[in-house]
Amino acid sequence: MTNETFLLRQVHPSWVQLNRVTSQVFRPTPKDQKRLSVYDGDQISAAGSWRHFTEALGYASAGVLAVTQGECLHLDLAVQADPTPFPEHAFIDFSGFEEGQIKKKSKQLTAAAVIRGWQHQAEPGA
Amino acid sequence: MTEIPFLRPRLVGSRFENRAIPLEVLKDLAVIEEMVIEVAKWKFLCAHPERRRSPRRFTEGIELKLTGVEEGSAVPVISLFLATSLLFPPDSQHYFEEAREAIVGAIGAAERNKAIGDHLPDKALSYFDRIGRSLREGEAMEFTTPLQPAPSRLTRETRRKLVFASATTVSLTEETAIRGLIPEADQDDKTFEIQLVDGRKIKAPLETQTLEAVLEAFIGYKNGARVLVQGVGNFSRGANLQSFESVEHVTLLDPLDVPARLDQLRILKDGWLEGRGIAPSASGLAWLSQAFSEHFPDELRLPYLYPVAEGGIQAEWSLPPYEITLEIDLVGHKGEWHELDLKTEAEELKELQLSEPDGWKWLADRLRRLPGGSA
Repeated sequence: MTNETFLLRQVHPSWVQLNRVTSQVFRPTPKDQKRLSVYDGDQISAAGSWRHFTEALGYASAGVLAVTQGECLHLDLAVQADPTPFPEHAFIDFSGFEEGQIKKKSKQLTAAAVIRGWQHQAEPGA
Repeated sequence: MTEIPFLRPRLVGSRFENRAIPLEVLKDLAVIEEMVIEVAKWKFLCAHPERRRSPRRFTEGIELKLTGVEEGSAVPVISLFLATSLLFPPDSQHYFEEAREAIVGAIGAAERNKAIGDHLPDKALSYFDRIGRSLREGEAMEFTTPLQPAPSRLTRETRRKLVFASATTVSLTEETAIRGLIPEADQDDKTFEIQLVDGRKIKAPLETQTLEAVLEAFIGYKNGARVLVQGVGNFSRGANLQSFESVEHVTLLDPLDVPARLDQLRILKDGWLEGRGIAPSASGLAWLSQAFSEHFPDELRLPYLYPVAEGGIQAEWSLPPYEITLEIDLVGHKGEWHELDLKTEAEELKELQLSEPDGWKWLADRLRRLPGGSA
């Protein structure tokens, strides 16, 4: 992975309202142990990650947003490959940060991803 | 005319404070006269089994009238009027008083889970489909009589029991309001359909006064144009809305309408987020919907609303350069305000007690001070 590598993040349909995405998309939940799962964009396309997520894993996704590894590093967030669950899996590491700092960083990442725009979107009604 | 005190139902609920009675509730009271007459005729026939029908002039010279409204929270005073031209009180007066006792007895039986059929016949129970139809959750009509001084309470629940106590009754009508899309409108058939968030479609009559709003929502269907439909709905024994009997108002909603969005989130099930998300509770969503209606000023920008993995709701506002989130705990009724200036990275954090008006006031004041916070 390089600074330009896209880190692809799936967006749950309930996290999109009138095409606006919640900043929770880039915020780990308590059960994530401060590790936010993403796909390594050097290894899989946005459309490919969406198919894997919805078909192989069977989860719901309205589409795919992306931040770069460089944007994460700029916020002092390390990115690590983690091919254990599947080969293209990686995570953005929020460990070491308090909840307030995590909220701030997740908003900053979401803002960057939203400016970049959807990398892939599910067909309406899919 | 001779005036005899007849009924003094006590209306309980905030809508009835200061002796106020909404006009729609008067419609309910008007049905009481129809019901009393029919039950009085039934009482007469019970007392005269040899007769097949009540006397032709049974109700002549007798009327029920609203003669006043007393405090408490509102008590409409209903009196029985007898024509003074009659030398003696009509015999039927006795049966009207028996009818009153039977009706109030049936309400009391419904409240105490006793046999309703001991007080009224099946055919009379159908009147409860129109009496108390406008009652809302938490409201009641309390009836007393000289023989039954303990109040018998007609509520949404007891009314439902009374109507469905008749084996032949298949549906109940109630004042209701729903939010949804309009995928279909038939001007020839004069009907339209409201699509609920779970995909169910509810048929409703298309009235001249609602035609414009219905057609506008119909055209906006693809763009998610939602409406609030208020009227009288037909409900099954299972309390499912089946259709609208009449429609009073159709209102186009703001695309960010809070109750409509919370309705959408009501269909989430546990496990919604990659098998782990906790669904927001129905009671929590109902509280939040009500709290927003009561405390969030109309002139402020409505938030986007999203579910939180742990079962809460997050309200968000994008007011450049500010990104604001309010994470709402639906159980503890608290909120965590986080305001971030994306340019300067300055933050504002505050815990809000959303069970108190002060928490909402802080929220409203803060939004007013932010650029674009007012709609």
